[in-house]
Amino acid sequence: MIGTIFKGLGTTLRYLFRKPVTVEYPEVKRPVRERFRGRHQLKRFANGMERCIGCSLCAAACPADAILVVPAENDPAAPVSPGERYAARYEINMLRCIFCGYCEDACPTNAIVLEHQYELSFYDRRSSILTKEDLLVPPDKGHGEIPPILQQLNRRPSPPAQIDL
Amino acid sequence: MPNVTLVIDGQTVTVPAGTNIVDAARIAGIAIPVFCYHPKLKPVGMCRMCLVEVWTPKIDPATRQAVIGEDGRPVMTLMMGKLQPGCVTSVSDGMEVRTTTDRVRFAQKGQLEFLLTSHPLDCPVCDKGGECPLQNLTMQFGPSTSRFDYADKIHFEKPIRLGDLIYLDRERCILCSRCVRFQDDIAGDPVLGFDNRGRTWEIISKSDPPFDSKFSGNTTDICPVGALTTADFRFKARVWELRPTPSICPHCPVGCNISLDMRYDRLMRVMPRENDYVNEIWICDKGRFGMRFIESPERLRQPLIRKGDTLTPATWDEAIALIAEKLIAIRTHAGAAALGGLASPDLPNEDLYLFQKLFRQVLRSPNLDFCTGAPGEPAIIDLGATLGVGKGTNLSNLGAGTSVLVVGADPEEEAPLYVLRLRGIAARGGDLTIINPYPTKLDRTPARVIRPRAGAEAFVALALLKTLIEEELIAADFVTRRVQGFDELKMRLRNHSVASLCDAAGAPEDVVRSAAYAFAKADNGIIIYGRVALASGADLIDALADLALLTGHVGRPNNGVIPLIPGANARGALDMGVHPGAGKKRGLTAREMWAAAREGRLRGMIIAGMDPVRDNPAAAEALDALEFLVVQDIFLTETAQHADVVLPTASIAGREGTLTNAERRVQRFRQARIPEFNTPAGWDVAQRIARALIALGVKPTAPDGQGDGRGASRTLAKTAATTASSDQWDYAVAGDVADEIAATVHGYADTTYESLGLTRKPQWGRQPNEAIFYDGTSYENTEGVGVQIAAEADNPKATFTLRARVPPLFATNDAYPYTLLAAPRAYDGRAWSRDSKLLPRMVTPHLILNADDATALGIAPGGLVQIASEVGCAVLPAQIDRNLPRGLALMPDVDGAPLSRVQTGPLTRIAIMAHISETVGTR
Repeated sequence: MIGTIFKGLGTTLRYLFRKPVTVEYPEVKRPVRERFRGRHQLKRFANGMERCIGCSLCAAACPADAILVVPAENDPAAPVSPGERYAARYEINMLRCIFCGYCEDACPTNAIVLEHQYELSFYDRRSSILTKEDLLVPPDKGHGEIPPILQQLNRRPSPPAQIDL
Repeated sequence: MPNVTLVIDGQTVTVPAGTNIVDAARIAGIAIPVFCYHPKLKPVGMCRMCLVEVWTPKIDPATRQAVIGEDGRPVMTLMMGKLQPGCVTSVSDGMEVRTTTDRVRFAQKGQLEFLLTSHPLDCPVCDKGGECPLQNLTMQFGPSTSRFDYADKIHFEKPIRLGDLIYLDRERCILCSRCVRFQDDIAGDPVLGFDNRGRTWEIISKSDPPFDSKFSGNTTDICPVGALTTADFRFKARVWELRPTPSICPHCPVGCNISLDMRYDRLMRVMPRENDYVNEIWICDKGRFGMRFIESPERLRQPLIRKGDTLTPATWDEAIALIAEKLIAIRTHAGAAALGGLASPDLPNEDLYLFQKLFRQVLRSPNLDFCTGAPGEPAIIDLGATLGVGKGTNLSNLGAGTSVLVVGADPEEEAPLYVLRLRGIAARGGDLTIINPYPTKLDRTPARVIRPRAGAEAFVALALLKTLIEEELIAADFVTRRVQGFDELKMRLRNHSVASLCDAAGAPEDVVRSAAYAFAKADNGIIIYGRVALASGADLIDALADLALLTGHVGRPNNGVIPLIPGANARGALDMGVHPGAGKKRGLTAREMWAAAREGRLRGMIIAGMDPVRDNPAAAEALDALEFLVVQDIFLTETAQHADVVLPTASIAGREGTLTNAERRVQRFRQARIPEFNTPAGWDVAQRIARALIALGVKPTAPDGQGDGRGASRTLAKTAATTASSDQWDYAVAGDVADEIAATVHGYADTTYESLGLTRKPQWGRQPNEAIFYDGTSYENTEGVGVQIAAEADNPKATFTLRARVPPLFATNDAYPYTLLAAPRAYDGRAWSRDSKLLPRMVTPHLILNADDATALGIAPGGLVQIASEVGCAVLPAQIDRNLPRGLALMPDVDGAPLSRVQTGPLTRIAIMAHISETVGTR
């Protein structure tokens, strides 16, 4: 019996000198995988314009019906996004979201991306609905050039076969 | 037409000769893809999407016989040795069509690849995305990749305005010309055209103001891509997010079937719903863009009670209690006849029925009307209930063999869809005669135009009658069986000749004679009369009735008389009995009510959904003389500002009900959203008042008995066993009211919501899968086509008396040499136009004058004119019309027009002079 106790303590002693497998959350955060699907972000282009064009395809793809998009027309003088259309309202209900990533797949402009943030807790249900302000990345955190297909605002009639990039 | 049998993809199909291959395939259930072809338009073969292999039996040139091959079957040859466009190739016997061979697939793929070379592929932001034929057919038939350089697409400036309402995105356009052909052939407003050529080929608007058509919205429906989109639905929502609710357009007597496409209780767009009996697949812009008022922030939200000079918000209980108390007080000290009710002819049947029930059975007052009582308002003379159009009438099937008389009507303004329907009849070979004192857009239709002097239209009708009698064109059999008074009529017309009558009307005799001949000889005859005919009076209407009777064009489908009475549901108002002649005891008309109110004989009124003060500022004085006025409306109208209690009601989107259209078709509309601001439907308001009255001890009577037998006014049924429940006023839903209407109102027996919901398919003879024609844009009608109510004439035993008589000539007056006529305008700027994209198109008050008259008077276009009649005068801008007859002045009946200040009746004698005073303005 004594032997069994020492055997157990031996195991304890052995693990004492190993690197622990637990992390001291929340002081220490565990890194996630590259393709981890966490909280969404609405991305911008490098020039600060919103990538989201309000097409609602994410909402259509969403199996949990978690996304609401209300589109509106861009003011050509001060466009929010490239092209004619932008999302006036963009909301995701995080309690509904199942983090399947279909919205990301459906997005034609790579605007909605499931990022690595996984600390999602709310004091009430209302605050689980993330609005466009919550989801948008800061204006200086944009990336990428606007593809020519979206550069439609200041287009002039071009002669046939002229490349318009 | 003989039938032709052919084989399509191995399926044998028999179709009428002359059918094109696309339609024939459709009948066999085979979808040949199309872009430019549309079953409502003539084929042009522009898009080449419908290319198919057409094999025909080889003919031996020597014997003209089919060559028989070794296997004993005819030798087939490929027509022209290449693929043929199915939409412009007619079927022939023995033909074999193959739509799925490699060669066809290759052509379809190639065609789509070419179409997509210039297409911007901006489907994510395109309003058509989700219901786009180009999207769908590309998925179904197109190549998955393109060999063309993506960067080499042609680009145009993104959308340009084709008009106030329609945007054109030239990049997306595939130049199918559906919109151009619709405007040219169907709408009769040839305002669109092609410009430039090659890769800069584009659609342009040729009119000023641009895209000046009342049917422009339809082009966005038939556009097979997202090139044409409406300003109204631009980036509002994606189409798959919409919840379409079947509804009926509440703007005119046509009763177009529409669907209110809602998203989360917000109206996103209005789309037509297919109903071949009413609107085919079209609606006018007033219906499509004139529905924004339902979400106007100016809508009334809660009851208002007058406290001193102001209307202060109150609860429903307070308002209803006050109304009951006051009405009982008035009834006690002044009698029931001191109470009167006006209900708008735009209200649904349920509202009108309970409104009149409240008055006739609870308050026991016969004073009910649906007119405003303005001085120029014509008396409503209705042939719809007596002659009407035969049950089963379908104008969209009529063509050769049909003769239509359009008398004193401007269908484009009064009931726009009738323009399309009448043009359709003319295009299919029907005969059209237009009798109107001034030119209208309908004149562009191939038709016989008779332009009588204003007020003398009756003489044209009499000349037609006289021609029938002289040339023995009457339907003798019908006349002997069902018409009385023919000999008396002959006697009355004895001293007049066709020439003298035409002369009195100022109409050419030969045209009148040919019109009479065409109308009498036609298999089907229809008479449509409108507002100008009503203004002309009973002499004209009676003569028109006799015209239909003598030619036997009554009591059969596709025959009869269609009165266009102002209001979406004037027909229903007449049938429900919201007019003074409906009951046993004759009540006061609206005009008599104003007089009675001024004299103190009328003390209390309920006005539902109507704004008489707007048209007739003099009514305000009468309203102020009342002891108590209740106004029930969706806006705080000018009339409502004079009220003691204002009750808000739900709009057409927030409740359900039925409307009866000009052809007496009862159609149901569904509730599209929860009632705005929790407002009750109009019928419920009447019910709440009735319940409060009964709770205070008022004893309702049994239903009113048979009408006084005056033909048209005999609408309230004799029927019925008053059911115990109907006294209780316990209607929970609109359907309960509809059930009672079906049980008690004459002719409405078949109009319960159950019978109204029956859908009859197929609606227009084409196949089950009509989606390929319309493709994404759905016109599907899931709500049924409505139930048409038989008129008296549909009863084969009903007989009619001829009443036509020769009236005295409309008196001339040298002091007032011009005739003033109020002209109806669709875009009248009234309550429905709130928040609408049509606002820039609203007609402002003006006077239309003949060019020579204007020159003689020294009036320049746009200059101010002063007009004076015996009762008053007004100043307003002038517009010159070269085609208007001399001596006639038209004043559009629009918001703010000073009609009531000068009119002495529907036709007013006026003097006109150039206005030289410095003071500018119409008031």
